[in-house]
Amino acid sequence: MRLVAIGALLVPALLLAQPAKDSCVECHSVMDGPIQKPALLIKNDIHTANGLSCADCHGGDRTSDDPSVAMSKAKGFVGKPKRAAIPQLCANCHGSADFMRRYQPRQRIDQFELYKTSVHGKRLAAGDENVATCIDCHSVHDIRGVKDALSPVHPLRLPETCGRCHSDAHKMAKYGIPTDQLEHYRTSVHWAALKKGDLSAPTCASCHGNHGAKPPEVESVAAVCGSCHVLFAQLYEKSVHQPIFSAASGGGGCIVCHSNHGIQDPTTAMLVGPKAVCANCHEPGTPGAKTAAQMAQWLDGLDAALKRSSAVLTEADEDGMEVSEAQVRLGDGNENLIKARLAMHTFQPEEMHKPIEAGMAIANETLRAGQTALHEKDVRRLGLAISGFFIAITVVAIWLAIRRLEANGSGYIEPVK
Amino acid sequence: MLASIASFLYPVLKFLNPPLITEAAVNEVVAGKVQDLKPNSGKIIKFGNKPALLVRVSDTEWKAFSAVCTHLNCTVQYRDSTEQIWCACHNGTYDLNGKVVSGPPPNPLTEYAVNVRGDEVIISRRA
Repeated sequence: MRLVAIGALLVPALLLAQPAKDSCVECHSVMDGPIQKPALLIKNDIHTANGLSCADCHGGDRTSDDPSVAMSKAKGFVGKPKRAAIPQLCANCHGSADFMRRYQPRQRIDQFELYKTSVHGKRLAAGDENVATCIDCHSVHDIRGVKDALSPVHPLRLPETCGRCHSDAHKMAKYGIPTDQLEHYRTSVHWAALKKGDLSAPTCASCHGNHGAKPPEVESVAAVCGSCHVLFAQLYEKSVHQPIFSAASGGGGCIVCHSNHGIQDPTTAMLVGPKAVCANCHEPGTPGAKTAAQMAQWLDGLDAALKRSSAVLTEADEDGMEVSEAQVRLGDGNENLIKARLAMHTFQPEEMHKPIEAGMAIANETLRAGQTALHEKDVRRLGLAISGFFIAITVVAIWLAIRRLEANGSGYIEPVK
Repeated sequence: MLASIASFLYPVLKFLNPPLITEAAVNEVVAGKVQDLKPNSGKIIKFGNKPALLVRVSDTEWKAFSAVCTHLNCTVQYRDSTEQIWCACHNGTYDLNGKVVSGPPPNPLTEYAVNVRGDEVIISRRA
């Protein structure tokens, strides 16, 4: 009786737990060729996980096993949507606050509006079906959430996703734009940070936008970089270079010195030497070139002084000396080096010299602390060696005395004359 | 005899030429007296060979973090006007749980435990 009661409770529950019938997947998954692929991919799709099915995009009746009914126009079947219609098709749900609230209440619903402002969207509206639509970036039939590490728009995969088209010389030929962005990006400090696991490091979409993707205009480059490099942008905006760089062709702003996709870790080689970017405008011997050389000398000098102090302190630390106070202080020195690099963006030597001066004072102070600790270590060891020597002599003397005592066979030790 | 000499000389020589290891990490420090820090203020203290930031949030609530910014290792500080932790180098900000609020820091600050024993404030590494 009890079993019957449990069974009566379980059967309706099990029936409810069954996934809704989907004749599209049932039929297509046993077919051969490319028509089978969507049915296999759909298992990993975020829409499937949320209870949606093929019919929600393609129309038709998924409850019917009869193909003429399941794919009938009367049931709204549209088949493969036209490429130009894809953004609107996705926006039917993703642009509806009421619909999205059921699944992702916090997700934005303006993707289509942004897309229409993008280079992709404008070209698609003008009849160019070569450009990217939703499915070119998010994939189709196996669409994953953007935070899913396997999603093509996950930060670690996005550069490759954009590069699929933008690195394709054949595809880009008619637009006359470069195809080396991905190649350069993969040499950049941003890609290096991303690879190390810093998912906040910028990818293509961080600077160009995602749905509203377009190249930053000249006047907005500093604003794009400044959205992360806030203080640098503030100093640059007030600098003598701002109006000059803003009028530059080919980008302007930060990219005049740092380039755009292949941004390297900045070093003083940007200021002086054969790869100096300052030399692109400031010829050797001019005041600008001399100032750049002076700045490089200050930065290199402070860097070398801090490294020397750090090496001495590490040696003293490894020798067991207490130098933690100086090590903490050395951190302030390194901070001044970073502040000097930041202040360089004022392009005012006097502004940069303040942290350089403060950093050098700390480097010298900590170097002295390290050298004092090493000297103290030497003194202690010399003292130990001397006392060890006398202890050794005493031990040997006692040992000799004991031997003489044992040789005499008496308990009497003759006094030393 | 040789064994006796060796047992005597070995520790002396090892002291004169020690292995290249640094001091063991400090696990606990006395950060100061309770009355030294007003509510809504912070101070930098030495925690081993690194700086730490002690924040007195209110009369009874204390917080402590590694004061080393996770971006480029600058020393962070407490800003009473925003009640946040701020790095002067690149304008990174953290909240009072050590989580990044804005700016370039890639990771949160390491949080330490704070205990008040009598009138002393003790900071220690969390297990």
